[in-house]
Amino acid sequence: MLSIKNLHASVEDKQILNGLNLEIKAGEVHAIMGPNGSGKSTLSQVLAGNEAFEVTEGEVTFNGDNLLDLATEERAREGIFLAFQYPVEIPGVSNLQFLRTSVNAMRKHNGIEDMNAAEFMKLAKEVSKQVDLDPAFLKRGVNEGFSGGEKKRNEIMQALLLKPKLAILDETDSGLDIDALKVVADGVNALRAPDRAILMITHYQRLLDHIVPDYVHVLSEGKIIKSGGPELALELEAKGYGWLGIDDQAAANHG
Amino acid sequence: MKSASTLSNAFLQPAGQALPAALLTLRFDRASALADLILPTRKTENWKYSAKHLKLTDDMASTLPMDASAEAGDYNSGYTVVMVNGVVRPDASNYPTLEGLSIQRFGDLSEDDASVAADMLSKSISDQPAKSGSVNMSQLNGARFEDGLLIQLQPGTVLDQPLFLIHHTTASHSGSAYPCILVAAGNNSQLTVVEDYVSSGDCSVMVNTTTEFSVGDGANVTSVRLNTEGQSVQHMGTTGVRQQRSSRFESHSVGFGSTLRRHDLHVRLEGEGAECKLNGVVVTQGTQHYDNHTTIEHVAANCNSEETYRNIAADKSHAVFNGRIHIHQDAQKSKANMSNKNLLLTSGAEIDTKPELEIYADDVLCAHGATIGQLDKQSIFYLVSRGLSPRDAKVLLTMAFINELVEQIPVEQVRDTAHTGLKQFFDQAFKEV
Amino acid sequence: MATTDEEVRELIKREYEHGFVTEIESDTFEPGLNEDVIRRLSELKQEPEFMLEWRLKAYRRWLEMEEPEWAHVNYPQVKFDDISYYSAPKRPEDMPQSLDEVDPELLKTYEKLGIPLHERAKLAGVAVDAVFDSVSVVTTFKEPLEKAGVIFCPISEALQKHPELIKKYLGSVVPVADNYYAALNSAVFSDGSFVYIPPGVRCPLELSTYFRINAANTGQFERTLIIADVGSYVSYLEGCTAPMRDENQLHAAVVELVLLDDAQIKYSTVQNWYPGDENGKGGIYNFVTKRAACTGKNSKVSWTQVETGSAITWKYPSCILRGDNSVGEFYSVALTHNYQQADTGTKMIHIGKNTKSTVISKGISAGRSSNAYRGLVKFNPGAEGARNFTQCDSLLIGDRCGAHTFPYIESKNKSAIVEHEATTSKVSDEQMFLCRQRGIEPEQAVSMIVNGFCKEVFKELPMEFAVEAGKLLEVSLEGSVG
Repeated sequence: MLSIKNLHASVEDKQILNGLNLEIKAGEVHAIMGPNGSGKSTLSQVLAGNEAFEVTEGEVTFNGDNLLDLATEERAREGIFLAFQYPVEIPGVSNLQFLRTSVNAMRKHNGIEDMNAAEFMKLAKEVSKQVDLDPAFLKRGVNEGFSGGEKKRNEIMQALLLKPKLAILDETDSGLDIDALKVVADGVNALRAPDRAILMITHYQRLLDHIVPDYVHVLSEGKIIKSGGPELALELEAKGYGWLGIDDQAAANHG
Repeated sequence: MKSASTLSNAFLQPAGQALPAALLTLRFDRASALADLILPTRKTENWKYSAKHLKLTDDMASTLPMDASAEAGDYNSGYTVVMVNGVVRPDASNYPTLEGLSIQRFGDLSEDDASVAADMLSKSISDQPAKSGSVNMSQLNGARFEDGLLIQLQPGTVLDQPLFLIHHTTASHSGSAYPCILVAAGNNSQLTVVEDYVSSGDCSVMVNTTTEFSVGDGANVTSVRLNTEGQSVQHMGTTGVRQQRSSRFESHSVGFGSTLRRHDLHVRLEGEGAECKLNGVVVTQGTQHYDNHTTIEHVAANCNSEETYRNIAADKSHAVFNGRIHIHQDAQKSKANMSNKNLLLTSGAEIDTKPELEIYADDVLCAHGATIGQLDKQSIFYLVSRGLSPRDAKVLLTMAFINELVEQIPVEQVRDTAHTGLKQFFDQAFKEV
Repeated sequence: MATTDEEVRELIKREYEHGFVTEIESDTFEPGLNEDVIRRLSELKQEPEFMLEWRLKAYRRWLEMEEPEWAHVNYPQVKFDDISYYSAPKRPEDMPQSLDEVDPELLKTYEKLGIPLHERAKLAGVAVDAVFDSVSVVTTFKEPLEKAGVIFCPISEALQKHPELIKKYLGSVVPVADNYYAALNSAVFSDGSFVYIPPGVRCPLELSTYFRINAANTGQFERTLIIADVGSYVSYLEGCTAPMRDENQLHAAVVELVLLDDAQIKYSTVQNWYPGDENGKGGIYNFVTKRAACTGKNSKVSWTQVETGSAITWKYPSCILRGDNSVGEFYSVALTHNYQQADTGTKMIHIGKNTKSTVISKGISAGRSSNAYRGLVKFNPGAEGARNFTQCDSLLIGDRCGAHTFPYIESKNKSAIVEHEATTSKVSDEQMFLCRQRGIEPEQAVSMIVNGFCKEVFKELPMEFAVEAGKLLEVSLEGSVG
């Protein structure tokens, strides 16, 4: 589904990704781990098409098409979803209005007619319950005054609503208490499907207790330096990154 | 329609010819230009609230004479230059001796340095004729100065202590004084200048000052302005600042004296990455009228400005603040913040504030906030319930309103003077409770 | 791949959709202004003598006045002698008695404008007065209003039927020589709406006036007077459009609101005069004086405006808060695009005790336009316990436009409290990225974000207007994201 070959990317003239390779097939769940500054978030931003990041070398194909040729919104419509690490607020725009515009943009792309307001409201209420969000949230401004946990659940709710082909979850576990983590993990597990891939980006292993990945990759200085099964995450948890020759602190300072 | 009056001819007669040719020419041009301009009226936008207080009677036109007995103040410990009625008194001064620093009187300038001085004055931002066609106070200074200082710092020169410029005006008879200070700080140089305006005597006088700062790449300049002149003084001050790449300029102004005090502070951020911080503490009482006009121009990209002015008006006094932020079209990624808070202590007093934004670039973050209010009754009650007298509670809260700015003044002597002045102000403003 | 900013600049243009001209016969005065023109106008409208005197007084004062220059706008001098001061659709001798008698071309015009004159009006429950060029052509729903005692009619009709009210209140809020354009309006105003709500009456319908400039080379000078007597309430809506013409046309209206004790007026405007083309050619000069006098205790006035049209807007709906505990509100969205210039805001004059005012202003600048907020908040010495809160936000779209804020705050009362905040920013890249990551088109994202930015103001508009305003914003923004 997703094939990344020798990807190099920079932001503000600073090189972050240095020849990253990754293959993800439908139905798989991949976890990318690594210390701060290793390029985890950059990878997610580059895949989603944030123009602040520049791809300097390499190629990315998505279901056989050149992903890098597509504008941000076209990638979204092709089925790439990014759950943001820090979702931005859009004052005055209600969540409901935002989500309906988004859902209808996807439907239009797929030649399906717009969902009417009543239909959409029903659907939105269902998914909001699934992530334990009060439906009253739908009427509030996009991420406006949401707590950190609410923002993260809101992101997962959107994934459930938009049914992407590839869901990229950028540190969706950070800042969550254990109950919220459980809710978010349940949401992500509900996303798992034979025709859908999930790419989780995380600093810690604890999310992986709840969502067991098929593959775990370790990212350091913009490259994947080790790949393995779920047991690799446990090993990292026990031994830290130092075991792989990464100086976590130095990497953090670097990033 | 308008009953416009022009500046009396008596004001256009400079005395003292002991100046280099370049400066004499400049002075002559200024005087010629002034002849056609009208005095500000309440319709002159930047004199809207103050025009009626401005008094330029003929008896104030003549330059005050040198007074050798005028005291220098008590800054003897540091570097000082004393100017009496706009003329330097070397005998009372204590010049710093430092390689890379030169302090010269206008009369002593070489031809080259004179053209540096004339250039700084002719480019003076605040010296452009006002759009309204009315007299600009710094132009009047330009038409009348008889002496002045050119202070030059070579690149990399750091002055270790503040340089005090003591401006003493002797108001033993009516007249006016026109001090002029030019500071050219080379790249990566650093200095702190304290302008201290004092007076003696009680005749009607006008002090009309020009201070120009040219701040080179990476230079760091701090300007402190203190006014403790007597009640017969009209103070018209103009400060112009041009900042180059990655330079930093700070201004701290605090004042108590004068009947009418006007200060125009104009900063141009011309080089990328420059930043400025402008702080002002204004307290007025009796029938005083203070008018602070500031302009910050973001000309280059990536500059930051931060401005904080606090006004407190008591009795029948009047405080005016007009702060303008102007972001030019190419000044992308500008950040500008302006805050103006005011306390009105009596209903006989007046506060007028106008925080303006004029923005021509889109990628900017600009904000201003202004408030006018009174002391919080809950806070007074809280303090009184802890045993303070209502008066002391009010003094404490009023002090808290401005203390943050006073404490940021980087020169101890000025902070001390400010504290003394504020104490007197509070004694007067809160006398009967 | 284009950057966000570039994409924001690429949106396609759509032409002003109200820019058609209606082909109907008009009676139009030859251009030029002098006392004879005023006499003819007054005679044509069969006005009482006092009105002619009033007009002439205004005209003589106007001749002595100078055109104001302080606003942050630039335009060539208006040639007052090239303007025709009266134009009216030709019609039978008498006023149309019902909609059936109105010229069908005119009705079509209003149909095109989407104005609910006919059946739709009944459904919507809005009483409409339509002003076409210089005259009021039709007022709907007269009977239910009469039953409630509400007077809602063209001001020319009120002059005939209720001269005592006109004599008492006209010019009581905006004196004849208040300012240059108000004086001109006082001399030559041709029509407009008159509303009187009797004591204790809550007006049973929303009242609405639609203004349309149609004829070429004419000025429109309408005058609106609304009197809310003790304890009454009315919500009034105003909409404006004009054809696309290459030359500039002058619109200089005066609106006066009078509020007695406990009265309440909600005045909403959607202003969509022709703004000129993308090169800044043509468009309306909108120089308007709007003022409310809260003369009574506990009275309350709200101005809500959505300004997207006009080449130049110069307008400061104001509140004189004279009655104790009176309340003034101003909610404004002003959007400028291409070469439009707007200098707009409000004045809140606090005279009475415990008077309160709120100002929420949202300015959006795009293209090469200039958008300024100018406001005055003033506390007189007697304004004990008065309060003001002001929030002015500006949003910039594109790097060739300007956004300015000129607030004047004056206080002479120690117990008065004012809080003023202003911000200027652009639509952030992060917001755009989030929207686009969810599959939303860039232009739709901008429009959504701008609508969100204006929400605090839109929620003050009556429902129907709010929808219209949102759409208007979307249309006006097209081509701005470029």
